[in-house]
Amino acid sequence: MSFFIKKMSRRAIVQALIALPALSLFRNQPVVDPPNADPNEIVEVNGWILKRSDLA
Amino acid sequence: MIFDSYEAFRASNFAARACILGSGPAGTTIARKLGAAGIPVVVLEAGSREFSDESQDFYRGATVGDPYFDLDITRLRFMGGSSNHWAGWCRVLDSQDFEPKAWAPDTGWPISRTDIEPYLGEVHDILELPDFRPDVPISDDIRWVQLIKSSAVRFGEKFADELDKSKNIAVVLNTYATELAGDGKRVTGARLWSNGQDAGTFSADYFIVCTGGLENSRLLLWSNQRSNGGVVPNAAALGRYWMEHPTFEGGNAILADYGEFEVDAVNEAFFSPTLPAMERLQIMNFGIRLIETPYPSVKRLIADLACTAPDMAEWMSAKLSQRLRCAAQLYVAWEQAPLASNQIELSKADVDHAGVPRIELHWKKSPLERRTILEGLRLFGKTLAEKNLGRVRIADWLTNGEDYPTNEELAGHHHMGGTRMGTDVTKSVVDANSKVHGMDNLYVGGSSVFCTSGECNPTTTITALACRLGDHLSKVITV
Ligand SMILES: Cc1cc2nc3c(=O)[nH]c(=O)nc-3n(C[C@H](O)[C@H](O)[C@H](O)COP(=O)(O)OP(=O)(O)OC[C@H]3O[C@@H](n4cnc5c(N)ncnc54)[C@H](O)[C@@H]3O)c2cc1C
Repeated sequence: MSFFIKKMSRRAIVQALIALPALSLFRNQPVVDPPNADPNEIVEVNGWILKRSDLA
Repeated sequence: MIFDSYEAFRASNFAARACILGSGPAGTTIARKLGAAGIPVVVLEAGSREFSDESQDFYRGATVGDPYFDLDITRLRFMGGSSNHWAGWCRVLDSQDFEPKAWAPDTGWPISRTDIEPYLGEVHDILELPDFRPDVPISDDIRWVQLIKSSAVRFGEKFADELDKSKNIAVVLNTYATELAGDGKRVTGARLWSNGQDAGTFSADYFIVCTGGLENSRLLLWSNQRSNGGVVPNAAALGRYWMEHPTFEGGNAILADYGEFEVDAVNEAFFSPTLPAMERLQIMNFGIRLIETPYPSVKRLIADLACTAPDMAEWMSAKLSQRLRCAAQLYVAWEQAPLASNQIELSKADVDHAGVPRIELHWKKSPLERRTILEGLRLFGKTLAEKNLGRVRIADWLTNGEDYPTNEELAGHHHMGGTRMGTDVTKSVVDANSKVHGMDNLYVGGSSVFCTSGECNPTTTITALACRLGDHLSKVITV
């Protein structure tokens, strides 16, 4: 990993990665979080198999 | 003894009780068993000691339906058969693969895994395998399975010396059995082609067809047509229920720690469903292969995850900055539902140099299989998420219901079915001892007798079945 990347914060890395031109930024489907939703519930969003808590 | 021509063999006056057609893993294993039991056996092998374009040309054929490999590319026609270029992945079919599945018609074998287990020690020595290891459940739905990456024994090379020195085994190269003749009870002889011409008929008391998972059907279909049903009297299922292991990249995974799972010699790990999961979702068996992803793809995957779950992506990018190996491609190979419509037919237009019709393979993947891979990847993703082992992203072509990709592995070069085992003569060709229904002296070896394919590569099971058939024939054939 380059010196430049080592110096960046984790969030900055993520944001830089998001900004890669090849990415589709408009994929996100709105996920409606019902009240009292189980954070461990398994959800499928954009092909990802996630826990609901991952979406926070 | 190994003879390079049929003429040389004839001059030797070797008197055989049994005749095996084909010297691949199935034929060689059965010959060694019979030879060890003191039964004189001849192995007729269409090819020579080495690959040649001329021999390979006899394997050309056509496929109708889904894209498949050229039929002269997906197998080898010389001593040792396709073991000359197999990759050496080894595993025996699961116990559950032998059992009927209510949600998938025409599944279930007339034997169970326990019938071949006594032979696994021999298989272990023949294929030079490390110890077989039990599956490890990682959830109620998914189990880690061992797929051994072996040294890929080349049967022709490994056993050439032993066969050459054997007094009971005669391997006759460059000798193509173009058809069997039969009277509806017994095979009376094999018509031969050698040195570019008809070489007459060879007779023996027993015939064992081991010409490979495509060619077994072709030879029996042609023989039956020529002898008006005298070779396979109950031929309704002949050539039918043909199966492969389709293989495609079905997604990716980000893993908390790649070292969490036991990997094999080439750093890959394999996962399959449990029987309760298959029953609940009414799907077939499958194998998910985890292959470590090259570094640039990891970044792209995390960026994609950031669109959906930023915190998760942040955590993963931290892992990345620690230079942990943390992402994998997920290749899925699966069990096809056995369908009578997936079948080997004889071409009406094209024949080989000896005048035998070439194969026309009719092959299509089914909707049940499509559901199997999608649900399978979901199960695997759910397991990783629930256990906090990682996260899975299913490929767009699967979630969007698009066509199968065209630039992928396609399938395993595993040719199964066509002369399947069973008790119902309308749906099978051989009985539980691999004897052709209605015939007294005709047997079949190889994966064409498989009723279902399971998820694993076939040669370990082929070899175990060959040991079993060899033992059976040693008792049936009296010297
Ligand atoms: C690229 C590739 C990779 C593979 N990788 C794996 C793997 O990793 N694991 C696994 O389990 N399997 C693998 N396989 C499959 C494996 O090679 C086969 O399952 C195995 O070779 C089948 O053994 P067999 O004896 O039934 O048939 P074959 O190996 O096909 O042998 C048949 C023999 O019969 C001869 N013959 C054909 N017709 C006639 C005739 N009419 N008269 C006389 N002789 C004839 C042929 O020349 C040949 O020698 C792979 C196959 C390929 C092509």
